[in-house]
Amino acid sequence: MGILEITAPTFEWLELSPLLTVLIGAVLGVVVEGLVPRAYRNLLQVAILVVTIFTAAGLLIVNWISARLGIFAMGALVLDGPAYVTWAAELLFGGLAILIFAERRAGQGASVFVAAAATVPGSKDERLANSIGREHTEVYSLALFSLSGMMVFAASNDLITMFIALEVMSLPLYLLSALARYRRLLSQEAALKYFLLGSFASAFFLFGIGLVYGFSGSLTLEGISSSITLSGTGRGLLLAGIVLLAVGLLFKIGAVPFQSWVPDVYTGAPTPVTGFMAIGVKFAAVMGLARVFFVALGGERWSWQPVLAVIAVLTMAVGAVLALTQTNIKRLLAYSAVSHAGFVLTAVVGANAFVPDGQINALGAISFYLIAYGFATVAAFGIVTLVRKGAGETLELGDWAGLGVREPVLAGAFAVALLSFAGIPLTAGFIGKWAVFSSAWSGGYAWLSIVGVGFSLIAAYLYLKVLVSMFFADPASSVSAVKPSLATWIPVIVGAIGSLVFGLFPGPLMDLLSHAEVFLR
Amino acid sequence: MNPEMVALLAAVLFVLGAVGVLIRRNALVIFMCVELMLNSANLLLVSFAYAHGSLDGQVAAFFVMVVAAAEVVVGLSIIVSVYRSRRTTSVDAPDLLKL
Amino acid sequence: MSGQLLVFVICGAFAVLGALGLLFFHKAVHAALSLALVMINLAAIYAALDAALLAMAQVIVYTGAILMLFLFVIMLVGIDRRESHRELIPGQGVVAILAGIGTLGLLVFAILGSFPAQAVGLEAANGGNVESLAALIFGSYVFAFEFISALMIIAPIGAMVLAQQARLTAKKTQRERAAARIEAYAQKGVHPGTLPNSGVTALQDSIAVPGLLPAGRISTSSVSQAMVDRDAVVNVHAVSLLTAQRFAELSGEVPPAIIKPEPVDLVDTKDERELLK
Repeated sequence: MGILEITAPTFEWLELSPLLTVLIGAVLGVVVEGLVPRAYRNLLQVAILVVTIFTAAGLLIVNWISARLGIFAMGALVLDGPAYVTWAAELLFGGLAILIFAERRAGQGASVFVAAAATVPGSKDERLANSIGREHTEVYSLALFSLSGMMVFAASNDLITMFIALEVMSLPLYLLSALARYRRLLSQEAALKYFLLGSFASAFFLFGIGLVYGFSGSLTLEGISSSITLSGTGRGLLLAGIVLLAVGLLFKIGAVPFQSWVPDVYTGAPTPVTGFMAIGVKFAAVMGLARVFFVALGGERWSWQPVLAVIAVLTMAVGAVLALTQTNIKRLLAYSAVSHAGFVLTAVVGANAFVPDGQINALGAISFYLIAYGFATVAAFGIVTLVRKGAGETLELGDWAGLGVREPVLAGAFAVALLSFAGIPLTAGFIGKWAVFSSAWSGGYAWLSIVGVGFSLIAAYLYLKVLVSMFFADPASSVSAVKPSLATWIPVIVGAIGSLVFGLFPGPLMDLLSHAEVFLR
Repeated sequence: MNPEMVALLAAVLFVLGAVGVLIRRNALVIFMCVELMLNSANLLLVSFAYAHGSLDGQVAAFFVMVVAAAEVVVGLSIIVSVYRSRRTTSVDAPDLLKL
Repeated sequence: MSGQLLVFVICGAFAVLGALGLLFFHKAVHAALSLALVMINLAAIYAALDAALLAMAQVIVYTGAILMLFLFVIMLVGIDRRESHRELIPGQGVVAILAGIGTLGLLVFAILGSFPAQAVGLEAANGGNVESLAALIFGSYVFAFEFISALMIIAPIGAMVLAQQARLTAKKTQRERAAARIEAYAQKGVHPGTLPNSGVTALQDSIAVPGLLPAGRISTSSVSQAMVDRDAVVNVHAVSLLTAQRFAELSGEVPPAIIKPEPVDLVDTKDERELLK
């Protein structure tokens, strides 16, 4: 028993620099909270946010162009095409969604976050905190931490890094969900529900990690993959492990039967936070799921593909059908998020099919779908923050009637987002749906694509119904949209233009994705 | 000792924790049940580390402990803030959100 | 039966008992204590499985830190609060137990027989448990180790945002408070000096005992409003009656005339305090 030689670990600083930038930005935000007087904090936090996102994006682009692919950070992170695509998308959509946090015109000069979260709702202290203009500027830091978790989640090369990333992604979101300024009881309740169910799901994920580790004796995705091909014994552990891993991942994606938290949390959380988690978590979780199932469990795909196909169908069905019955715009968008999870899962099922060179594969289809969904989501949730009746947001669909007459620009942008959600031709959503369904088709799941088309028609009917009421119904009284600042205009406009541009000219993005989308092992 | 038995114990604890989450009504106790599930996963990792003769499982268990500590802080502060608003920690009382 | 097996059987049994306690105890504090039982026993099993450092960490982190935090919060929200076991969704409990049995069956089926034939044990890999773990944590898992520090930042921020009641107005200085007192005296005649002490009787001297004025009346400002709110104020007249009787028994004399008790009325204390604000 001698003293072990420990060699100093090596970090590839340059390759990891986009991630490190986001973490540094988040920590700087914490430092600002400690050192800067309250009056300057918000401005400084927004500045840090913008600089962080742009620096990280710049570094990412440089790295990507220089093709710095490989397995880094002592084998913990793998930066391959999908990881770069995810990082870029997370920075773009995450940055836009967090920017909406800074909107202050929507609440008479106050942000959408609670003035002092520790005060009891409706108490004298709460009114005092409101009147002296208190606010929680920690939200930017928390969101950046969450963003870093999303980035690591989609790029982790072993299951334990993935578990930690899952928690880094989720914990700030549990907190942010509790911080709405209006309807605070609802918001706290949403946070409690999200937290309890989320930690329940991550316990399942962890037990799954344990079982898979028991099967293979390794925690790295590559190690698990090779023991699947080599070992003939202990399949029981592997299968049970796959089931439990899937529970954790499908929960984060919001797939049936783990969707019950989605509408409640989406409704209760402050709307910009909902937008952030809608796209950020979904992108990271789907790419993480794809990485685990393709890279680590690809050799076992005959056992998980049929199950996942059934889950995809159920998810599409529940999302599309329950969305029809909703009268609240955020719940409607939540159920639409559920059905989108189903659509994107069809491409995961169709994985590992032979793809002719130059054509988009399953991963490319997933990425394109999620990018299209991201543009539409950022725009849609940005607009939801703006339509008001009195002090708070109005979420009743009836109140949105006739908005197209009064606010043609905003309603137009919302219409583009809804058309993209619906998958109407000439929007990015259409190309995305076409890509995922054709991927499922070529993966041998033709029936799944047909079912998917069916459910997307049901969903399209719903979105068109909303559109018709927005543009052709009599305007509801006393509802107005606030004139937003750039913090909301930029995400809304970028989201709407992105939904259109990538619908009209999907070629370049398709090219990029079809070249980028191979997992490195 | 056969690590298989330890793994079975872990499975029993995990299922007890999961059932607890589903049948208990107090948010604090539900959260304790989640902690029990995390503990059982740790036991599983440690028993497999013993079975395979590799220490990765033990390292993973360490990280899980740290994660659990952070999760507890966040979770309890959410529970406390709900309690302050409603004077209850029952998960049935919050019912503004309906399916 | 080897010592290792013995440890496992005993501690395993206690762990399962603790887990069952978590399910069935009505009070949250009992549930927390039974969870502590589970965790301590798991620590012993870790030690038996060649995970010495982990066993220590289990005791320190889980039992020492995490459970204490739980207990703090339980005390905060009221220790004797019972939870209702009324089911909101009928049959939910039965369904949950059936689902649990199903999951357990699946897991047992998965674990049984699929194990490596002979446990390798950790003698070879360990070579000093702490050193080997250090080599891994600062070697191939160093990124996870560094990244987990993000959680260590998020957690305290979260706790401070949600639970810390930051001061919303500047704290009043001694001078301002004194000025306010004199102002109240000048305008409304509120006594500017210190309030009278709580009383001392032969049997009690807690702050819940009101002081008596020379005429035998209760001085309403001698007990804290918090005591009044909690109905904890001692009825001094009843106590003095008791004392007088005791004296009489001991000395064999006739008890002296008792001052007739007045109804305890502490409402005017509140008014005085309102004036002082």
